Amino acid sequence: MSLGVVTLMKVILPLYVTAIILYTIRAIKGPTVPDIILAVDCMSFDIAAFMAILAVYFKSTYLITGAIILALWAYLLDVYIANHLTKKEVGA
Amino acid sequence: MSILFTLGAILITIGGICDLFGAIGLLKFPNFYVRLHAATVGTIGGAAVPLFGVALLALGTNIPNKYTIAGASLITGIIVLLAAPAGSTALAYAAHKSNAVEWKPKTDHLKEARK
Repeated sequence: MSLGVVTLMKVILPLYVTAIILYTIRAIKGPTVPDIILAVDCMSFDIAAFMAILAVYFKSTYLITGAIILALWAYLLDVYIANHLTKKEVGA
Repeated sequence: MSILFTLGAILITIGGICDLFGAIGLLKFPNFYVRLHAATVGTIGGAAVPLFGVALLALGTNIPNKYTIAGASLITGIIVLLAAPAGSTALAYAAHKSNAVEWKPKTDHLKEARK
């Protein structure tokens, strides 16, 4: 069964690494602030999914606890930046 | 190869392909409001679907702590499924409200209705 995981990793690793590089290009050269935040948001969810795959690959449970925190953090970033853009302040 | 492993591997591969297409769209589309479409492909297709796939794939293997990995992947998938549309909507509302984005629409019915 370990052979199947290794073969799957060889198929999907180039897809995820290429996607993360393209998101990073958009996050660096994004013309406006919402573009940058959208790219960072996509990259965070992407890394959370990739960490879950790596948790199966390395047989470790520590990586999957980080994925939950990362998914929640991306939503928090969205809400804070939206609050800052509309009200010019971050807070309750 | 159990059936759960095969199903999870298919879902993860679909997620990787959707993720690559979303990244290409986010790089190539002209302005922010069109890029939101590519971002939805990249988050729901590229993060939620592979997380459900990891939950099935971990149940199909015989690694230690497989129920922990499967359950946490399912929870993370549900969180992404709820949080990604809410965050995108909040960001689009803020960008439209604060006029932060340059866009050249052919017709803008909302602006005409608000006159």
